[in-house]
Amino acid sequence: MVGVVLFNSGLAAFLFALLLPLPFLLSPDKRVRYLSLWLHLLASALFLCLSLVILTTNQPVTMAAWQIIPQAGFSFIIDRLAAFFVFIISTVSLCAGIYSLRYEHGESDSGKGLLASMMSLFVLSMLLVVVSSNTFSLLFFWETMSLSSFFMVMFDYKQQLTQKSGIFYFIMTQMSTLFLLFAFLLMYNLTGSFDIRPLSPAYGGSPTMKAILFLCLFTGFGIKAGVMPFHKWLPYAHSASPSNISALMSGVMIKVAIYGILRFVLFTLTPELWWGIVILLFGAVSALLGVVYALKEHDLKKLLAYHSIENIGIILLGIGLSIIFNRYNLPQLAALALAGGIFHTLNHALFKSLLFLTAGSVVHATETRNIEEMGGLVKRMPATGMLFLIGAVSISALPPFNGFVSELMIFQALFQSYRIGDPFVEILLFVVLSMFALTSALAAACFVKAFGAVFLALPRSKEAEKAREAPAAMLIGPAILALLCVLLGIFSFQIFSVAGYNLPVPDLLPVGILMVVFLGLTLLAVALLSRGKPRISETWGCGLISQNSRMEYTASGFSEPILTIFRPIYRTSKIVRRSFSDRAEAIFRGGFAEIKTFNLFEERIYQPVAGLVQRLSAKIANLQDVDLDTHILYAFVTIIVLLVLAWWVL
Amino acid sequence: MTSFAGYVFLNTAFVLLISPLFISLIKKAKAWTQGRNGPPLLQTYFMLAKLMKKEVVYSSTSSVIMRISPYLNLTFLLAASVFVPLLFIPEPAAGIGNVFFFLYLLVGAKFFMALAGLDAGSTFGGMGSSREMTVSAVIEPVVIIVFATLAFVFKTMNLHEMFAQSLGASLPLNPAVLLISISLFIILIVETSRIPVDNPETHLELTMIHEAMDLESSGPNLAMMELSHAIKQTLLMGLLINVLMPWGLALEAGPVGIGVAAIMFILKGSILAVVVGFIESSLAKMRLFRLPALFMQAFFFAFVTILFEVLGRL
Repeated sequence: MVGVVLFNSGLAAFLFALLLPLPFLLSPDKRVRYLSLWLHLLASALFLCLSLVILTTNQPVTMAAWQIIPQAGFSFIIDRLAAFFVFIISTVSLCAGIYSLRYEHGESDSGKGLLASMMSLFVLSMLLVVVSSNTFSLLFFWETMSLSSFFMVMFDYKQQLTQKSGIFYFIMTQMSTLFLLFAFLLMYNLTGSFDIRPLSPAYGGSPTMKAILFLCLFTGFGIKAGVMPFHKWLPYAHSASPSNISALMSGVMIKVAIYGILRFVLFTLTPELWWGIVILLFGAVSALLGVVYALKEHDLKKLLAYHSIENIGIILLGIGLSIIFNRYNLPQLAALALAGGIFHTLNHALFKSLLFLTAGSVVHATETRNIEEMGGLVKRMPATGMLFLIGAVSISALPPFNGFVSELMIFQALFQSYRIGDPFVEILLFVVLSMFALTSALAAACFVKAFGAVFLALPRSKEAEKAREAPAAMLIGPAILALLCVLLGIFSFQIFSVAGYNLPVPDLLPVGILMVVFLGLTLLAVALLSRGKPRISETWGCGLISQNSRMEYTASGFSEPILTIFRPIYRTSKIVRRSFSDRAEAIFRGGFAEIKTFNLFEERIYQPVAGLVQRLSAKIANLQDVDLDTHILYAFVTIIVLLVLAWWVL
Repeated sequence: MTSFAGYVFLNTAFVLLISPLFISLIKKAKAWTQGRNGPPLLQTYFMLAKLMKKEVVYSSTSSVIMRISPYLNLTFLLAASVFVPLLFIPEPAAGIGNVFFFLYLLVGAKFFMALAGLDAGSTFGGMGSSREMTVSAVIEPVVIIVFATLAFVFKTMNLHEMFAQSLGASLPLNPAVLLISISLFIILIVETSRIPVDNPETHLELTMIHEAMDLESSGPNLAMMELSHAIKQTLLMGLLINVLMPWGLALEAGPVGIGVAAIMFILKGSILAVVVGFIESSLAKMRLFRLPALFMQAFFFAFVTILFEVLGRL
């Protein structure tokens, strides 16, 4: 009962928040925008309470259905899985909302009002996707979510890059919907109902049908989750949109797609072994290539976006593993892997939105997204710097933070793959294990680079030199997320036992306490033993008179060794053309050098597909652009064909 | 609880006490091969004591990272030392001994060290951080596969249990363990920044990896960095020793057992340190970009072991 009240009041608050700014778009009023944002916070808090109620009581809440057309309407049910995702969405939405109170993006006030309205619509539609109990309402809110996020990506619509990103995103997201629509219609065809409920293994449908169903679902959700090779929209869209929106998109929206995979592939259909292997391999490749591309990236927000692809890969690793273990009758390992994947979903939502929000503050302060033009910000924005550091440490999976726990769970599950008994699968899993290890280590390297280039050493541009600390609201939002990152790490074991999951995960609390003790003792020992006072001097600059920012290591310099080692993946080509004044080529006159990275996915997959579609449409357009007689002929031929078909079928 | 606290105290104290000794021993072994006498065995202790008393000099460029990272670095490694029992194997305690936990504590120390390297804004520090993170990223698959093989062979993911099992087998010359020791040894060389990966005694900043990150540290901060490096070396040596030849390690706390274990470990550790020193003297440093080939060898040994184990059951 409490659940229904909370749900309805949260829904109402969101509706008010999204409708309120709309009448004022022409004469924007700051107070209206703030009211809308506060309503957004209230609504998020209500949904947060709702999810906590359901998670603790473990009682699913069912909402009345609104019939729209016969057999289809909106109906909602919140079970534990849905409640978990409601928790993720509302927590991140709450923190991003607090951040938005002071985050100013763009010049026009009406734009800001519209952004506040769209943000509420976006969060609301994500919430309703995960609580939908039939495919009709799921798809409806899925599409609302896609469209509202598209509008927010297009916020700076006057910039050419944003236009490109927006259109790219729009096409990809519509493709995702298309695949899902097809899958849902197929399911309707098999079961005769739009309801989402576990189907018995014998729900009819041939193996081919099931395979098609799985592939459609996986592609549809995979596009939205940013699984390679469908990932290309992610770096574009995340870097183009305002930072609070990037946090929501990267932290939460791609998790909604993970929810879809969990709900449909795992809990509605009966997964088969090869599904698990497909998910596992896509996960492993996304994880590794995601971080490899992130290392190359110098646009702070694109870098974070590539890390989202990596982390989605890690989550999929957990899901795929659990399917495989289940097929080999190892339920405990399956539970461990699945719990790892799901816990990583929560953790990634927390630290990635933390990173995006703090990155937003940095971008706001320095007016650039290029990390080569930053540097030295930890002195100018100390609080933002520390919050970013907590996010970086969590995403690099360092103990005792939350990212470590979930990666550890997946690692542990992979380590025990020898219990499967099928040598080929085992060897495959060991290969995946080494890929995962490389991913994890490269992520740490990438965040040393990111933190170092953005926050340490000397500023490398005038804007970075003048950067100021972000206002309180833009620190409180991320600070809550940072606190959660720490707490969910140290108390992970306790949280799992309270939730009723008995997982073989090490307890981080004793080691956490030990670390505090050791740190205290070290501080004490050094304070007692050392005598001299700290002295401030200059960094040794090889005898140069004063140090400047051109002497420090840049992000490109930092990642250069890794880029060289992974050159086959990047396919970098160096073009050097030189001209000389003499024939012996001794006196250099001038030259030209260029380093090009081969854009594998864009040049080999996206462009050929787009070209094919364009050529096809050109052919079809030729058929259309004809005189009346031919059109009558078309109609005639169509009728004949239909008649023949009808006769053949009946 | 008290017995666990006692274990933590004894083990950590032992690690802290003997770590500098092995550093000196390796230097000594290298000196012998070059026909020198080398520094006295206690030189590293003297150096640490001297550094503790010196003043700290911070660069005007450096930030809070430079100030906290020596402490964090040492904390991570002290925490990791609890995972590798050198004297006796304690009662099982929640979360202590897990391999991943151990490995990621080491990564944590490295992470902050690399950040400190970037903090002062010196080219050399950045160079060191960049190379250190590159090397550690490329070696990571080897490390994980090695530990996966160990988990496979010993059927546990807890270091303490691995050691106990290895101790239980009368002669733990399992071919898989022997093969994996080769990879473990390469990991020891890589992680402790030794030739052919890194040259700890170079005077050319351009060729350094590990030392370059420390260039801007001074006084107690440098002492902490050096000490944590020594601890890391002891822990990895202890790991190799306890997996391959755990003789002497006590299964429960007791004055005699602990005494024997301490003497045995110092003996075995000294031999290993001398071996490392000789190997360092007999090799030349590799070019940075030739390193992946070395790591591939380690990876190969580890993966072959896994293949043997997996296919051996057929």
